[in-house]
Order: sequence, then structure tokens, then C-alpha cells
Amino acid sequence: MTAKDIAKITINLVIIYLIGGLLLAVVYAITSPIKFQKEKAEKEAALLTMIPEADKIEKRGDWHPHEKHAEYYAALKCSELITKSEKDEKTGEIKETKECINPQDIGYIAEGFGKGYSSYIHILTSVDNSFQVKRIKILGHGETPGLGDEIEKDYFLKRFENKTVDTLVVVKGETQDKVEAITGATISSRAVTEDGVRKGVEMLKEKLSGEQNKEQEKEEEYGSHS
Amino acid sequence: MAHTHKSNLELIKNGMFSENTIFRMAISLCPSIAVTNSLKNGMALGIAVVFVQTMVNVTISAIRKFIHPKIRIPIFMLIIAGYVTIIDMVMSTYFRAIYAQIGLYIQIIVAFASIFARAEVFASKNKVIPSFMDGFGMGVGFLLAMIVISFFREFLGKGELFGITIVAGKPLLIMILPAGGFLAVGLLMAFFNWIDMRFYGGKGASGV
Repeated sequence: MTAKDIAKITINLVIIYLIGGLLLAVVYAITSPIKFQKEKAEKEAALLTMIPEADKIEKRGDWHPHEKHAEYYAALKCSELITKSEKDEKTGEIKETKECINPQDIGYIAEGFGKGYSSYIHILTSVDNSFQVKRIKILGHGETPGLGDEIEKDYFLKRFENKTVDTLVVVKGETQDKVEAITGATISSRAVTEDGVRKGVEMLKEKLSGEQNKEQEKEEEYGSHS
Repeated sequence: MAHTHKSNLELIKNGMFSENTIFRMAISLCPSIAVTNSLKNGMALGIAVVFVQTMVNVTISAIRKFIHPKIRIPIFMLIIAGYVTIIDMVMSTYFRAIYAQIGLYIQIIVAFASIFARAEVFASKNKVIPSFMDGFGMGVGFLLAMIVISFFREFLGKGELFGITIVAGKPLLIMILPAGGFLAVGLLMAFFNWIDMRFYGGKGASGV
């Protein structure tokens, strides 16, 4: 290899890297703010649907199911909601701010992950004050289409209403008080119910029942019978 | 392949039919099985491949005299990776629902044999316009294959098309499972070979 070759190769690579890097930077600069906003809006919209009666959702802390970062929230109901209109002097826009008087916890929401058949299932679970499940929502998953992805369907999600830590158990076949598995997707059903939702409710109970209700004792060994 | 003498139309048809990535060359089969369980996903990946294949061919053809032959392969890889990253960022921003399901396969377009092969075999030896036609034809050929496979798999497996129920129940559940992907690709490949041999006097797939 001559010096000329070396020089040419160097110039080749430098130019390609520069142009490629510039191009990627431009696309990133355009897309990333939109992406960030969409992600935030999606999550907020999902949280509000979990407890529709709530006036406000407030983050209470973080936890780490399956070494992933997840958050939990409290749903607040205000005894009075005052809307104030404020005019911005500079832009002339009218800004509405809501003031919440005497907020009370009416429920909690846990974000969680369940280890499914081929993916981690990303779940939101909402519970009321007595830690009974109100509703659950699947935010994302990679389960088998046609079988495991039935966990997104309403008929399955309905099976979680009013369940507690003790009744969040998957049963094959018909059941009155437990959660019936989806035919052909027992692993996905179990991942949602026992790994995702139940651990979320247990976590909420452990972290929040103390501050809410001191005499309520912590029962249940952590997932010992799963 | 040396400098091409084919017309533009012949180049496009070549990629779509006689050298169809999936049914004739039998390369890039992984995504053709992984994402074809619904028509929407199959089409989304196909469109991403049309974009990457065309842009890579045009870019490489445009700079083919400037690239030093000793480092042409790393440079091809850089160009392919660049365009894949662009389409990845665009799709994850504007088509979030589809991206959630096929995002992983968008990223592995980087390693598609079909894209790399056309860069080396065709674009690095031909002018920009024929390279554009070749890349576009190859990309559309891949897209068509994805549409055909996912049409049969979604219809037979779920009784749906584009997520809309056509037939109640699940006529042939195995078709949307991974095993069904192999069945669908194999049977369709056999079918197209049969047409080729029966009506056009072909000798069947080259089976490279």
C-alpha cells in the first residue's frame, strides 16, 4: 500500500463519516422532540384512563421489576377544583391553571412488567384505596400474534376487576373468583396476572399501606406460591 | 455482473420477478417469516426496505469512483447503517403503533443480504439511474413478496385482513405461528416456480 492509497482511504472515511453524521444529526434533531412529546402524551393519556374519576395523577416513586425502571402513582380527587385564568403579559395568551383544594388519594396506579412467553409485557394496574384492582391496561408486549396478543383484548382485561392479591391467580377453565387463562396462551395470561399485576399490587401495598393505614399488617410472603 | 445494458423497465422487472429476493434468490428470509403474520406489518417492513435499498444503490453508485476498492465493504456497511438509522428514527416517531411491533426488524435491515448484494454486484459497477432502477425493483420485489406472504398468513391464520375480520374464527391457526411462516414461504415459492416452469419454460429457482 502506497502513501497515496493511505491518504485516499483516510479521506474516503472522513468524508463519509462527516456526511453520514451530519445527515443523522439533522434527522435526529427533527424527530426526537416530536417523539419525546408523543411518548409523554401517550403515557399521560394512559394513566388518566386508569382511574377516570381522579382529578390529578401524581407520581409517588420508582420501583424495579425485572431490573427495569417503572413508576407508581397516586390518583388524587380534589374536594374542590378552582380554575384560574391568567393572562400572560408578554405573549397575551390566556393560561388556565387549576388549583386543587384538599386532595385525597382515591387509588393508586402501578406500572409493571411481566415476563411472558416471548417478551416483557408492560402493564399498568390501578387499584382503589383497599388495593382491589380497578382495571389494567397493556402498554406494550411482543407476545405471539393471534394467541398471546389476546391479553390486550377487553374480555381478558375485564377478568381483573375487583381482584385482590389472593385472587390474582390464573386458573385453566372456568372460575368464579380467580382469573381464567386465555386458551392457548397460559404463559402470557400467567405473566400478566401473577408476574405483572400481582407483583404490582403487592408492591403498592407494601410501600403505601404503611402511610395510609398503620395497623394494616403486611401479610403474604413475596410470590412464594407462584 | 459487468456494466449493464438492460433497459430501465427490464431492471425493475428483474428485481420484482426473475431475481425476486425471497421467492427466487431465497435470501433475507428471516424477516419474511418474522413480520408477515399481519399484512400491515409486512407492508411496513417492505416499504422501509424499498427506501433503504433504493437510497443505498443510488448513493453507492454516485460515489463508486471515489471509493477506494480496499475499503469498499466497510463503506457499504456505513451507508446501509446510515439509511437504516434514518428510517428507524422516522418510523419510531411517526408510525409508533407499527414500530412497536416491527421495530426490531427495521434495525436488522442493516444485515440484509439482499441490500448488501445489490450494492456489491450492481450499484458499485453501474451508473446512478440504472442503479436506482435496480434498487427500486429489488425493493418492490421484496415488498410484493411480503404482501403476498402476509396476505395468506393473516387471512388463513386469523381470518382478518389489515386487522379487519373477514371470516369469523381462526381457520388455520398454524399460519400465524412461526411454523406457518415456513409453510407459507415454501408453498408460495413452489407455486411461483411451478408457474415459471409451466408457462415460461424456466428451470425453477436458482436456489443460491
